[in-house]
Amino acid sequence: MPAQLSHQAAGQTANPMPAQVGIGLRAQHHVDVLNGAPRIAWFEAHTENYFADGGAHVRALSAIRERYPLSLHGVGLSLGSTDPIDLAHLKLVRRALERFEPKLVSEHLSWSSVEGRFANDLLPLPYTEEAVRTVSEHVAQAQDFFGRQILIENVSSYLEFSCSRMREWEFLAAVAADSGCGILLDLNNIYVAACNHGFDPLHYLRGIDPKRVKELHLAGHSRVHLGGRELLIDTHGAPVCAAVWDLYRAALGLFGACPTLIEWDTDIPALEVLLTEADKARAIAAQSLTARGNTAQLITGSGGDIAA
Amino acid sequence: MTSLRELQRDFLRAVLEDPASGAALPVKSDCIAAAQRLQVYARNARGNFSSALESSYPVVRRLVGAAYFEQCARDFQREHPSRSGDLQPAGAPFPAYLHALHRGGEYRYLGDVARFEWLVQEALLAADHAPFDLHKLAAVPPGDYDRIEFHLNPALRLFESRYPCLAIWQANTAAEEPPVIDLDSAPHERIAIIHHGELRFHVLSAGEHAFLAALALRMPFADAVEAATAAAATAATAAGDFDAGAVDFDAGAALRRFVAAAAIVDFH
Repeated sequence: MPAQLSHQAAGQTANPMPAQVGIGLRAQHHVDVLNGAPRIAWFEAHTENYFADGGAHVRALSAIRERYPLSLHGVGLSLGSTDPIDLAHLKLVRRALERFEPKLVSEHLSWSSVEGRFANDLLPLPYTEEAVRTVSEHVAQAQDFFGRQILIENVSSYLEFSCSRMREWEFLAAVAADSGCGILLDLNNIYVAACNHGFDPLHYLRGIDPKRVKELHLAGHSRVHLGGRELLIDTHGAPVCAAVWDLYRAALGLFGACPTLIEWDTDIPALEVLLTEADKARAIAAQSLTARGNTAQLITGSGGDIAA
Repeated sequence: MTSLRELQRDFLRAVLEDPASGAALPVKSDCIAAAQRLQVYARNARGNFSSALESSYPVVRRLVGAAYFEQCARDFQREHPSRSGDLQPAGAPFPAYLHALHRGGEYRYLGDVARFEWLVQEALLAADHAPFDLHKLAAVPPGDYDRIEFHLNPALRLFESRYPCLAIWQANTAAEEPPVIDLDSAPHERIAIIHHGELRFHVLSAGEHAFLAALALRMPFADAVEAATAAAATAATAAGDFDAGAVDFDAGAALRRFVAAAAIVDFH
């Protein structure tokens, strides 16, 4: 069963990250960020990229952390694995948390290893009670180890298991309820899964408890043709598409102002391209939240004001 | 019903070894077959692994070409799958793998070049350290010098090879077309790789290499000097140089050189 701290963590509802738009930090942009001081509310970095004892990347992130709020986003804990959680990896994450003091910490609703071998990819889980227990116990263990709540992000998927007994959003909600974690909703991943498996992405959003949603991700994807039909592949390597922007509007309507990240992981463009995507997200957020009547939530905090 | 453990075991085998082996997995299929769907994950796993290896070994990749490197990365992953959620350490056994693969062949130096690249990367990722405090050393009574344990910079790596790996590395990290390098041009290459603000390479004599290797083992200064003197004598004998002056190891000069180079950063 998830440990006590996880239930305490569940009660921590205040979001330490400003409900504004940030961008994913990639090493290619370290110098531009440090020299150009771009007008952006916060950055998110991949935790594993800063595991080193020292060196240029660690120094750059420390300097950026001095100027901007930071979120650390892990890809390697393999929380859905039936292997025991990797203690060495947990320790490296904890060292990164102590070193960079992020406002938010997140990982994925997936697995990537078994019997000590790693695929280093975000592999899909069957949506079963057994899998809920496995993930929840590992999430709770991680939260206890870090002494803080983590957020769990939904992943894109290219297949479904016939042994699943619930829908993906029910699975995510069950893990959050059992472990006390927060939720990071990747709207691109929801859209990719919805297209690949034929469900309405709005059903997904409506199935999530708004109080648990602490961060939103926006990204792009690509399309391939297999067996005479189209499969969407989550590359995080393209601009956000119109359908995902629509989903963002819907998410803001349901969840209110929320820290939102523009994420770009492959074929990384100039920083300016990410900043332009962030401007677009701010404009959409301003419009949607004005309509919802809670603009004030969005414009509090420093930096990255709405371009309304 | 398949347990989660069994499902994950079969799934990972399909992803890392053969997508066709996942036929028994409880995967829904329509006009896209289960094996095609698994292939997406297999491609991701291969691509992620190969990219990580590529970022650790850009010189090896340039030497052998992108296509061969890709194939090599695939074979290497099958034999040495990642054992961590962080892909960076997965490349550690690659030099030994290349060394065994090309023993005695045209690419017999490749394992050593890979080892050099790996050590450069280790130096670049190591903890930063403040320079040596000479005032602190001045406070030590001269009679205690022999017992001092000098500390090496955490970002120092020692390298030895029978091939000119430094020249190969420098030529293949430059933008222009690399020149032809005589593989026999450095039969006893000994290098100290140091990252201290910037990456520096120091060519070492046999004595200097043995001296730093002894300090790395936290030997007291007197014992390190003794090891260095013995190594210098052995190297001189092997080279047929019996001149007494040639076998001397100048401990004072070595200490000054390595403090100035930030190879030695502290003591106790």
